[in-house]
Amino acid sequence: MHRPHLLVPFAMLLPSLALVIWIIGYPVADLMRMSIHSVNRFGQVGSFIGALNYSKLLDDPLFWASFWRTCVWTVCITGGTIATSIPVALLLSQDFAGRSVARLIVLLPWAVSATMTGIVWRWTLNGQFGMANAMLMNVGVIDQPIEFLATGDIAFPVAILIGILAAVPLTVIIFLGAFSSLPGEVFDAARIDGAGPFAIFRRLTLPLIRPFINIAIVLNIIYAFNSFGIIWILTQGGPANSTDILVTYLYKVAFQYGKMDQASAMSLVMFAFLILFCGLYARFAIQERKW
Amino acid sequence: MMRMPTLSLVGLSALALAGVVGPASAQTEINVIVAHFSDNTVVTFQNAAKRFEAANPGIKVNIEDVSWDNLQQRLATDIAGGTSADISIIATRWVLDYANNDIAEPLDSYITPEFRSRFYENLITPGVVEGQTYLLPILASTRVLYYNKDLYTKAGVETAPKTWDELLEVSAKVKEAGEGAYGFGIQGKEIETDTYWYYPFWSYGGEIVDGGKSGLASEAGVKATELYKSLIDKGLSQPSPTGSNRQDIETLFKQGRVGAIVSGPWLRGQIASEAASLNYGMAAVPTGTQQATWGGTDSVMLFKSSKNKEAAWKFIEEGVFSTETRLEFTLTEGFLPVLKEEMDDPRLAGDESLKIFAEMLPVAKFAPLIPEWEQVVAITISALQQVYLGQADAKTALESVAGQIDGLIAQ
Repeated sequence: MHRPHLLVPFAMLLPSLALVIWIIGYPVADLMRMSIHSVNRFGQVGSFIGALNYSKLLDDPLFWASFWRTCVWTVCITGGTIATSIPVALLLSQDFAGRSVARLIVLLPWAVSATMTGIVWRWTLNGQFGMANAMLMNVGVIDQPIEFLATGDIAFPVAILIGILAAVPLTVIIFLGAFSSLPGEVFDAARIDGAGPFAIFRRLTLPLIRPFINIAIVLNIIYAFNSFGIIWILTQGGPANSTDILVTYLYKVAFQYGKMDQASAMSLVMFAFLILFCGLYARFAIQERKW
Repeated sequence: MMRMPTLSLVGLSALALAGVVGPASAQTEINVIVAHFSDNTVVTFQNAAKRFEAANPGIKVNIEDVSWDNLQQRLATDIAGGTSADISIIATRWVLDYANNDIAEPLDSYITPEFRSRFYENLITPGVVEGQTYLLPILASTRVLYYNKDLYTKAGVETAPKTWDELLEVSAKVKEAGEGAYGFGIQGKEIETDTYWYYPFWSYGGEIVDGGKSGLASEAGVKATELYKSLIDKGLSQPSPTGSNRQDIETLFKQGRVGAIVSGPWLRGQIASEAASLNYGMAAVPTGTQQATWGGTDSVMLFKSSKNKEAAWKFIEEGVFSTETRLEFTLTEGFLPVLKEEMDDPRLAGDESLKIFAEMLPVAKFAPLIPEWEQVVAITISALQQVYLGQADAKTALESVAGQIDGLIAQ
């Protein structure tokens, strides 16, 4: 077969590439410039200060606390979402009466923005007026209201649960697609050979949807790492910075403390993390195409 | 933002025409950014603009409404992009940033002695940096103790507590009365959590900045923190204050579920519209060793980058600070007046509850003018939350935060 000239695809890519460079490249270049200068609250760039912003960042205990918390946050949300989504998608891929309604209900939260989810939960979990407490007290589970958002020990796990809830719909869609793409005859053969449902799931389903799991993991890592709305609305990273993750702390440094230079350095460090994740994503995507 | 292209178009066509028909009698445009105090704010300023335009043909005033949450970010973006308005309302405590970075125009050369004499002088002071007046106040506000008269009567309490010790006793009685109400609401979350603690801190004689150093770890600081901590530990405040922001404790008060809280003038209006049957009173903030309260102003600023400073100043002097505009603003927003002549109006002079706030003005303390103030606030709140949560004792937490603040001031 005639191999197309390499120039053509590149020429066709060029316009969108130029657009991407303009939209992403320019701000990143500007961030780099800001991160090695002193910049005031108003974005006015001052004198060159080298790596000072970076060394200040690395010396900041709150940065490191937020960093580790972001790791916990990302791992828990990604793990929880995958673990919840596979059974839900399996269930929804079965044939049963009212399946389309059930699918709609599971996928509906996806249409709600993280901000709205956060606001609803903030009200629900309020210690004095919240619905969650009222319900638990009515049923008799507790006799004193729980202040869900008053301590980091409770607020952070609660935020993770809400984060999982917000991430499940999209992940379920990914797995629904995965299940519908599975070749039916392989399963029929296994069943004829006498394999039980557990064995089928472990030996057939799981290996076959492996590439989808990889993609779901990478997408969820990126989503969770950058997820600002839920924590900001629930606790603003408080009390006493006990629920701050990198994005919420970044927002404080930039727009509350007005330290645009340190914030630039911080967002570049975070950008480097994300590049790493995107690299992973690209790798899995290529693997999937081969498969 | 839509106006910018239009403006430059006008500029271009004016440039193009200039050679042909000579200088056009261009209309001067003044852009004013107004912070959103309530839905009425923009109306008040639009009315002022209409009256001003009628009296000054040739000057057009554009009013734009921006919410407080977005204001700082919006102004910063405009300044970075070189598209600032001519006039903006800002929080007075931001003045240092705007003065030091050459963004605010010093107003002393514009202010006539007659104009200045219309103000309460102590309200101008917070907008003065190194002897230069950068801001003019458009409102003043103080905080007082709101108490629930019904709960107090049931608990056998007849008068509002005068001191913090009395507040402790009264709160215990409210709790014992067994109505399920809390004695005193403590704010422990989000914006102004530090302010809520300054009330006892200042009244025990504390100073946020004392001789160029943080005064938080002083005896007054420890006393104030232990006062709140003991209210929490004895179950006299609502449980876990770190879960309650300002709106939360105000809601508790409106619902009649807390004996007393400290709040500002806006709460009167909210109670009138949301909980009209609430039987409440207002009194001075309890004292420790002295009387004190939080005082705040918001101000109007003229941008140094404005190309029409004369016209913009004219609008400030004759539009924003006309007696008519000031009265409309003060009456609809419910804040304290900044011009002496406003008190001649019978509606303000006859407002008994406004008097309680006004009486606190002489003892009101303002946030100190230090750079990095927002960061100082953040770490102060963090330290207080640690104490409220029982993760640190008052002295340790305050000493640690004072050390950090000293570092910030020294920078």
